[in-house]
Amino acid sequence: MTLKLNCTELTPAVTARLSSCRTRLLQGDKVIRLLAVPLLLCLPASRLATQGLSPQALLHFSADTWPTYNGDYSGRRFSPLDQINASNVGTLTLAWIYRAHSQPIKSTPLEVNGILYFTTPDNVWAIDARFGHPIWHYHRPSRGDHIGHRGLGMYGDWLYFTTPDAQLVSLNARDGTVRWTIQLADPKLGYFSTMAPLVIRNHVIVGVSGDVTDIPGFLDSIDPETGSLQWRWYTEPQPGEPGSETWPKDSDAIRHGGGMTWMTGTYDPDLNLLYWGTGNPNPVLAGRARPGDNLFTCSIVALNPDSGKLVWAFQPSPHDVHDWDAVETPVLFDAEFKGKPRRLLAQASRNGFFFVLDRATGEHLVTAPFIDVNWASGIDSRGRPIARPELAPRPDGALVEPSSDGATNWLAPSFDPQTGLFYVSARRCFSIFYLTETGKPEGWAGRDRDLWSNSTLRALDYRTGKVVWNHEIGEGESTAGILTTAGHLLFTSDNQGNLLALDPSTSKTLWHLNAGGHMENGPMTYELDGRQYVVMAVEDTLYAFTLPR
Amino acid sequence: MTLYMLLKLPWLPVVCFAAAAYWSFRDRIWISTRWPGPAGVIMSVKRLRRKAEGGKRLALCVAVLGVTCATLARNPGTRAAQTDLPPAAESEHGTQLFRQSCGFCHGPDATGARGPDLVRSPLVAHDVDGNLIGPVIRNGRPDRGMPPLALSDDQIKAIAAFLHDRLQQAIRSAQLPRAYPLERLLTGNAAAGRRYFEGAGGCTACHSVTGDLKGIARKYAPLDLEARMLYPEGSASAVTVTLPSGEKVQGNLEHLDEFVVALRDASGWYRSFSRDRAQVEVRNPLAAHRELLDRITPSDFHDLFAYLETLK
Repeated sequence: MTLKLNCTELTPAVTARLSSCRTRLLQGDKVIRLLAVPLLLCLPASRLATQGLSPQALLHFSADTWPTYNGDYSGRRFSPLDQINASNVGTLTLAWIYRAHSQPIKSTPLEVNGILYFTTPDNVWAIDARFGHPIWHYHRPSRGDHIGHRGLGMYGDWLYFTTPDAQLVSLNARDGTVRWTIQLADPKLGYFSTMAPLVIRNHVIVGVSGDVTDIPGFLDSIDPETGSLQWRWYTEPQPGEPGSETWPKDSDAIRHGGGMTWMTGTYDPDLNLLYWGTGNPNPVLAGRARPGDNLFTCSIVALNPDSGKLVWAFQPSPHDVHDWDAVETPVLFDAEFKGKPRRLLAQASRNGFFFVLDRATGEHLVTAPFIDVNWASGIDSRGRPIARPELAPRPDGALVEPSSDGATNWLAPSFDPQTGLFYVSARRCFSIFYLTETGKPEGWAGRDRDLWSNSTLRALDYRTGKVVWNHEIGEGESTAGILTTAGHLLFTSDNQGNLLALDPSTSKTLWHLNAGGHMENGPMTYELDGRQYVVMAVEDTLYAFTLPR
Repeated sequence: MTLYMLLKLPWLPVVCFAAAAYWSFRDRIWISTRWPGPAGVIMSVKRLRRKAEGGKRLALCVAVLGVTCATLARNPGTRAAQTDLPPAAESEHGTQLFRQSCGFCHGPDATGARGPDLVRSPLVAHDVDGNLIGPVIRNGRPDRGMPPLALSDDQIKAIAAFLHDRLQQAIRSAQLPRAYPLERLLTGNAAAGRRYFEGAGGCTACHSVTGDLKGIARKYAPLDLEARMLYPEGSASAVTVTLPSGEKVQGNLEHLDEFVVALRDASGWYRSFSRDRAQVEVRNPLAAHRELLDRITPSDFHDLFAYLETLK
């Protein structure tokens, strides 16, 4: 019956995809395991019970799946789907709405086998990706910082969820029941976790948050079956290790140096390198107790995901004193650079600078501001901005652009291989940074006071960092991520509650909807039964858009 | 009933805090019956960090929590049942005791000297009312050169309260203190500030020290004056909308995005227009301040503030 129903509903697009899948099946491509419709048609009934997500599937694009926080390992947030495209986006219509009755949704949902999984602090929901109906809801009250939550990781039938009290919960994706819970770090010391774990083969990579106390940052690799620790990489090196020379020798500063790992990183399967951004050093605004560059805080690091060993590092903000975490997505793409094909990594960093590196070697290629900044006097020989010492926080205040909220932040950027442009939601923001602590600095030891901000979407030429187009999105600080698609579309939101679809080449607005609130997550897309859906969160509500039938 | 009398009522802070916590976090269970350790307070403090992350209701909750804590501190009798927060008097006593008994090695503010920094100590973070700190004081740590100290239960509790208070001070350092000492801000030269005000700053184009700025330093707390000097929020922009017919509609700007402009006209009525059929001209009264942010130097900034502070 099910088979019949599916057959009658086959659209030309599905039929085409189906035949391509059959070809891939003949070639032995494992990706077919994920495609629900061909599964029904091609595989014995016993396989129907297999609904999980194989780690192998993360290596290949699959139209009906958004299997990681960023949609794939590259962090590009570019989807090859093009059913919804520049010529028909004006007819976009609502497929369904799901209201979570929660704090704002900041997570990018996963979509696997027709089910969406998304989060807020303490909460996980599974809902029907076609129709928006709830399947299950997991709620686990906890103490700790409830600032936001980014989403989940998935391995087989299991989901991985981080918590405000710094635990990692493994849930059964069928029904949301708990398989096991492990403690990542001691919440009494100020640790918590908000990030979406990243699954690489049999590693669940998990980071932590917390900078109001002076605690060291780290990144864990957890066994997806048992929850046991496979390796831990500390942001601060051990005394004597490379990087330790960038901390004072005669104090405990290096053991209390911060550098949280609170955003999901990216992965290159060919190089087998994991890329991660690290947060600000501690004490946050007071640098005098930690003279030196303070490696590997405010850095982009490349790690071996099997051993946790550092392969290379680049530091966007040496000796940061403004809370400019370098945790923004390290986006991976292969493209021409100075006439040669290169394997690149690009980050639009919270300090207002755009960086491009060779991701195999860490070689620095481009540094350029993507928005106005006043804190840097130039760029050093290694491509790092040089801070103006007079704009470090002071007892009498220093007027700095950007503010501690940053020239960008957790908002997902995107790279579109069709346009060759890197997109970032950028902010102009001034604040006065005060150093308030008079004794030994501990914790923040100061604070900045926001004055004025506005936001703009920017398209950057990755070869130079130059701004190709600018699209103003209003006063205040932007909160929405960006998605680009092969349909020649860029989805995001402005600061007044309008969902937007722009032409990624020109920034022309092709579609908009006043959705009545702020988008604080990243848009995502998938195709099921031949229909492409684009899902965006506004406040505590998910909106799924599709084309009219 | 005076505010003071209200504050003396032991039930008030409990009700205020519970109401604020419920109001702010009603979408999940969050009721603390005892001191939650740094993580609990961090939760509140971190909220203040990013406006986009939280919003005013959270700030208000933290404010209510602050008042609650302060009030609890005045009422030792209500303390244990609610939050285990150290009352001020006990902490004062603890400060003296700590300095006498422990300060030589751990520093008078507990941030470490010969001995380790206790503000960052995991044992202190886990301690409740001296239950972990007590045994360390009584037994010492002979392997690390710390001698045992014969202190009473009350003395140990007072020292523990002092150490918890120090940890809270570190956590609270992520916020600007409400009363910030003016002398720390007065690093500029008022005479130079006056020259900037009358000259390069361009301030006299809109302001006068005998007019709108008369007594401005009395009107605002120093930190507020400093922020307002650079960018005073709250002034509405004026807007003129020109319709295809040529008709012009003027008023105070209510809403502006890529698609819609809305204003309140002189008669007080709200009017909105689709931007594809209207030309929009906005006159922002803060444009000069916005431009000032880009060009004011650190020394002009502090000189100008020193000058404004003379306008009592």
